[in-house]
Amino acid sequence: MCSIQDLGRRGFQQYGIPISGAMDMQAAKTANRICGNEDEDALLECTLHGTEILIQDTTVFSITGGGSTAILNGQKIPFNKQIKAIAGSIIKLLPSPIGFYAYLAFAGGLKTSLDLGSSSTYNLAALGGKNGKPLEQNDRIELKNSKPNIQHANIVINEHGFGISNWKSTVPQLPHVNDLVEIKCHKGPEWDLFEERSTSAWFNSIFIISQHANRMGFQLEGAQLEKKEKKEMISTAVTKGIVQVTNHGTPIVLMADAQTIGGYPRIGRIFNDDINLLAQCRPGTKIKFVSI
Amino acid sequence: MECTRIYSIHDQAITFEFAEIISEEINLHIISLKNAIEDHPFNGFIECVPAYSSLTVYFHNNMDKNEVIKIVNSYNSKLNTNNSTSNNKIITIPVCYEMGEDLSIVTSQLNLSEEEVIRLHSEQSYRVFMIGFTPGFPYMGTLPKVLEMERKKTPSLNIQSGSVAIAGKQTGIYPTNSPGGWHVIGRTPVNMFDKKRTPACFLQAGDIVQFKPITKRAFEQYL
Repeated sequence: MCSIQDLGRRGFQQYGIPISGAMDMQAAKTANRICGNEDEDALLECTLHGTEILIQDTTVFSITGGGSTAILNGQKIPFNKQIKAIAGSIIKLLPSPIGFYAYLAFAGGLKTSLDLGSSSTYNLAALGGKNGKPLEQNDRIELKNSKPNIQHANIVINEHGFGISNWKSTVPQLPHVNDLVEIKCHKGPEWDLFEERSTSAWFNSIFIISQHANRMGFQLEGAQLEKKEKKEMISTAVTKGIVQVTNHGTPIVLMADAQTIGGYPRIGRIFNDDINLLAQCRPGTKIKFVSI
Repeated sequence: MECTRIYSIHDQAITFEFAEIISEEINLHIISLKNAIEDHPFNGFIECVPAYSSLTVYFHNNMDKNEVIKIVNSYNSKLNTNNSTSNNKIITIPVCYEMGEDLSIVTSQLNLSEEEVIRLHSEQSYRVFMIGFTPGFPYMGTLPKVLEMERKKTPSLNIQSGSVAIAGKQTGIYPTNSPGGWHVIGRTPVNMFDKKRTPACFLQAGDIVQFKPITKRAFEQYL
């Protein structure tokens, strides 16, 4: 799956419209900065494998984040570097056990149409992206500025039709699917509604990111979390990083396309700076929540 | 009206809770507070999300959380609730009840005739407490007691856009085709969400809605 994203859509949550935007904001910003773009510029977010991109005019791009191995004209290319590829080059993304979401930024930024101030794709309401949808086969995207203001004269093109910058952007190490990842977490607004056995399990046992992990939320497998009494909550605002617990006792961490209002009790709230790290934990990754 | 609880849902979002019940009076107060903040936004303010009995305020990371709490509390103490009586005009929404796919289940479960369900649902006005679930979905209330029904045990997978539905004390309208657990008793031809329209959402929290029964013919002519 590959969709156009930016830093999200603000000011419309009171109408039920999620913020959306890149799952890993830091990786998205890094990709744009490497290309000399603005942080707000639209770029591609790719997850799992299958994305293949044909570059029609010589361009400079970068790939950051994880979840993919990037192949350019048959050669593996590094992440977090400036890459210049000649017209006719093909970028292919293959699966990788490290990380979950990859970001592809192109110098000059992607030319997109804005819906409610953002080009972030939100499929459910057909907002942003390419006609409100993730990218499909044969979609064509132009650059906003085809003559980007970027220094890449020193990149030498090799026999495979591309060149790589000497410098590399320093980025955090991304988790491998077999890692045990520590994520810092605050107690949630309804912490006190849960049984002590459940609150203790939240910070002391290991949870696994389930296969139900997407832009809306990551469902977790592990201890079943029980409330002290069956009491329905009155729906109130929720956002990215909130951990809701369903009536079946399953925790769900809300992610970039988080609904704006929720009615489930909230056992936790992910430490803001760790949301990007959590976004890079693919299904199967073990998580230990650490109290702060 | 004083807050009963103030808590963070994000480093840049604070929820001000006023009660743990659904009440028109409390919701009216929340909308007044939202309007007061939006009319005179403080430095660093991003957006507000009103819910049944709480208001959540989003702000930029250059703002200190305690400073935001102080500011919102000062807006709140200056609010004159007497002032904020509904001066909203009533928005009429046409509904073709014969297109409600669950209408027969509703009538048999509630032991009412179709005419009674339609009359009970359309003879009073409703308050839009909040918008959520999907873009443009209005949570409206309060339903007459005799129309109260538990939501479906298993949600329907594809509810048509424009479906007017009931659950518990609430009534709502599905803006887009989506899954949902409420009982569909009619359909409106009014487009609840259109990204090309300003505002994109037909309704907003605080609006007063009156349903008007229409025939299938009138529904088709409306489109």
